Amino acid sequence: MEARQLSFRYPNATGDLFSDLSFDLPGAGFHALFGPSGVGKTTLARMLTGEIRGFSGAISLNGRRRALYTYNLERLPGWSSVRRHIEETAPAATHARAEELLSEFGMASCVDARFSRLSMGQQNRANLVRYLLQEFDLLIMDESLANVDELTREKIILKIKALFPARCFLYISHNVAEVARFCDRILVLRGAAKSPQVIAVRGADLEPQGAAPPPERLERAMLEIVHAA
Amino acid sequence: MLLRRIYQFLIIYFLGIALLFLLKYSLGLSDYVVPSPGEIGRTAARYAGPYVLAVLNTLAVAVLGHLLSIGLATAVAILGRLTAWVGSFIRTASYNIQAYPIVAVAPIIFILLGDGLSSRLLIAAMICYFPLLLSFIGIFSEPVADIEHFYRATRRMTWRLEVKIRAFENLHKISTVVVGSATMAVVGTIVAEFIAATAGIGYSIRIALYQSDLAKILVALFLIGVGTSLYLVTLEGLGNALQKRLKSG
Repeated sequence: MEARQLSFRYPNATGDLFSDLSFDLPGAGFHALFGPSGVGKTTLARMLTGEIRGFSGAISLNGRRRALYTYNLERLPGWSSVRRHIEETAPAATHARAEELLSEFGMASCVDARFSRLSMGQQNRANLVRYLLQEFDLLIMDESLANVDELTREKIILKIKALFPARCFLYISHNVAEVARFCDRILVLRGAAKSPQVIAVRGADLEPQGAAPPPERLERAMLEIVHAA
Repeated sequence: MLLRRIYQFLIIYFLGIALLFLLKYSLGLSDYVVPSPGEIGRTAARYAGPYVLAVLNTLAVAVLGHLLSIGLATAVAILGRLTAWVGSFIRTASYNIQAYPIVAVAPIIFILLGDGLSSRLLIAAMICYFPLLLSFIGIFSEPVADIEHFYRATRRMTWRLEVKIRAFENLHKISTVVVGSATMAVVGTIVAEFIAATAGIGYSIRIALYQSDLAKILVALFLIGVGTSLYLVTLEGLGNALQKRLKSG
């Protein structure tokens, strides 16, 4: 994935949100987009998936035509249960995987409930499951695991990495330790006044069956992220 | 809910009657101007039967006109949400048309359609149509981004699904607007009957007016209030039951 000299300003805004922003991301893997609130992570994510247009510069997804963006406030319609909604929206071939994901994500006991009856963490997991069952090459997860406890988040991220090794994920999170531990590349987005506006940091990229990364590697990645931000 | 509505109506009605009697006895008005309580009672006993039938007749037309308006407003609002221009045009046209008092437009309708059922129906529908339309356009034009995003991102969105999502998310608003416009449908029907029709309680009030018989008018008003309260309670009950059924699980 390549972005070259992206510049963007919201209508009626006083300044550019992005100015000559460029970055590269390697192919498949679990990557992150990190940065302080309001720096433009969501805007950049929506630009990458084509939901926001009208910017200058170029974005190339190098053949990844199916790019999806999901965020943590999304809701499922209230007229049917989570299970029924997932069955209706997931391709038939993925129904077995749906059950697996729901079970692994700790949702087995609440799939027959309506979305509004779930806790916020359960709602975010249900939303993420339905996106994971779609056909995609790139999935941008904007705070998709917010309100989920740390152990379950770890389990979910490792499951995603195990099930979709050939797909590309871009995980937006404010948790430095989490992105440093699980992500391959971390794009640290900074304010428009800083140059360059994006700095890429290597994360520890913990694998599903892999050993825990050495503490010094994790520490270095975290320091680099904080320093870059 | 029914008891509350009836209580509220009875309080207002009898406050009005009390005010009339206060005026009558403080100003020494004759029974010809404001009838005595006994006269009102005798009129009620004599005319309650035919007036109940007349109110039912009016309510039937009002319900039909109301249903017609709901259907039409839904259809136009669904079309209106297609583009911002169409929606804005329909909204502006609705504001302009509803600015005309119905009593000014009604004679044209009676001249063109006569004083039968169709005129009463049309006027009842017209008077509650525009508030419904404006509310429905607002509801169906307003995206529910948090739900619709998934369907747009995965290219599953259809116009039916869009309407379904927006209607479901605004069930309470829709229910409130429908109940609110029901009163207007009843008012519209009575106005139409009062102006030129030959049936319904509005027609009976017109006859009573020509006879300067306030007792008959007071009896008619009482029955209209009870009938309207029953209709509103029925609608509220249906709305609540529907919401409960769709949202439970």
